[in-house]
Amino acid sequence: MAKVVVDAMAMQRALTRITYEIIERNKGVDDLVILGIKTRGVYLARRIASRLQQLENVTVPVGDLDITPYRDDIEHDADSAEPEVTAANIDFSVEGKKVILVDDVLYTGRTIRAAMSAIMDLGRPKSINLAVLVDRGHRELPIRADFVGKNIPSSQHERIRVSVSEIDDRDAVEIQQA
Amino acid sequence: MAKRYLILEDGSAYAGEGFGAGATTSGEVITNLSLLGYQEIITNQIYHNQILIFSQPAIGNVGINHDSYESILPTAKGMVVRDVTNISTNRLSRLSLDEFLQQHNIPGISGIDTRHLIRKLRHMDGPVKGSIVDVADAHAFDQLNATVLTNRQVDQVATPKPYPNPDTGKNVVVIDFGLKHGILRQLSERRCNVTVLPWTASAQDVLNLDPDGVLLSTGPGSPLDLGEGVLEMIRTIQAEIPLFAIGLGHELFALANGASLRPLPVEYHGSSHPIRRIITNDIIYAAQGQGYAVDDKTIDRDRLITTYVDLINGTVQGLRHRDYPAFSVQFFTDGAPGPHESRDLFDEFMEAMTAREG
Repeated sequence: MAKVVVDAMAMQRALTRITYEIIERNKGVDDLVILGIKTRGVYLARRIASRLQQLENVTVPVGDLDITPYRDDIEHDADSAEPEVTAANIDFSVEGKKVILVDDVLYTGRTIRAAMSAIMDLGRPKSINLAVLVDRGHRELPIRADFVGKNIPSSQHERIRVSVSEIDDRDAVEIQQA
Repeated sequence: MAKRYLILEDGSAYAGEGFGAGATTSGEVITNLSLLGYQEIITNQIYHNQILIFSQPAIGNVGINHDSYESILPTAKGMVVRDVTNISTNRLSRLSLDEFLQQHNIPGISGIDTRHLIRKLRHMDGPVKGSIVDVADAHAFDQLNATVLTNRQVDQVATPKPYPNPDTGKNVVVIDFGLKHGILRQLSERRCNVTVLPWTASAQDVLNLDPDGVLLSTGPGSPLDLGEGVLEMIRTIQAEIPLFAIGLGHELFALANGASLRPLPVEYHGSSHPIRRIITNDIIYAAQGQGYAVDDKTIDRDRLITTYVDLINGTVQGLRHRDYPAFSVQFFTDGAPGPHESRDLFDEFMEAMTAREG
């Protein structure tokens, strides 16, 4: 049984709030770049960028980070390989920029650690902030999000599924009992 | 029904039939273009001391019900309508509009071509004073011309004392400038533990209650009549606690952050204007009631972001502070009356409080 914990309206609101919080925290949008972690983080990153464009009439560069081979939100055993994150579709420099890293679900933190390494390989950003739609807990690394859409305390036996209308049939966050 | 007159300060008189109370009344005449919600409208304290003219031709046809009061006592001065209906088949109806107005000593006049009247009022410089009288003679006009409109509306309708509306959720302080009940209803639906404070409360009074969020309510009159103290309170609070301001509260929030207001050439009261939500570039509708608008040119872009704009008259309908989780809307977000789609601003307020807790 899947239970919807964030519906389409709530997801829109969460992204809107995160956008305003990004403006608050960064005192504007100067030197901002947004990097979305594939797959759904990319679409969330684009939505945040389009909101910034609407509000500030500024085009914030958006890039993608590709992740292989495992998904953070799928149950995995402790021996599984560390995720590898590689830059994809980043046609701008991150040197000296304020990077907003965007992912759908924050879980163990291993994806984010790998993503930060990938970003560092590209250059030396001024800062990296993390925005996630869902923080489900169970961190294995000392990583926390700066902008959180919704905290969903979860059991490790549960699955959190984020759907985005761009590639799924709707916007929603669901919890599934394993 | 008795023959009565609506007279205006320009010397014009309109014959109609009286309903409700038989009293003689005077006040500023205000046009409301909403198709629905006369009960919410006449009990909304923003219409304190005003005579309401309805463009909707059929008024009274859903009676008066328990769920649609926006204040305990209506303080509007009169109703001007085309047709008044005293038969209601609405299952919620508890009494007729006529009985309700008699109870509260508010006169009404029907049989007026309100749409014609509204067109004429658009070309008159406001505020326009009017009276509902038995005889439209020179004495009545003298009385009308001698009527002085108050600028102490907030003092007259807002609570002079704090009161609680307890629940078990977020701790919210509502500053009352003449609030409509819809605001408290929306907070109750979200289980907020509310304390309503008088508008003269200081920032320290607010902070002493350790609120998770502060809401500045709607209210009547001009925010310019309320003085500097309340602006100082807003500036202190917005830097400390998530803040949500509606209507008059929005105008005060704008003033507190350096913007100016301008009077609208014609006041707008209705719910038919599309409002653009800038961040997502979509359209919502909401009940609106305003005589002033935040002057777009005076907004300090380093402090405030414009978040909503009226697509018909171009007025600023929403603001947000750049540095704090503090935001405001000009329109009524409680959907009482009017579309419900902007009610989710209360959810935005709830989530701002939650995000603050971290």
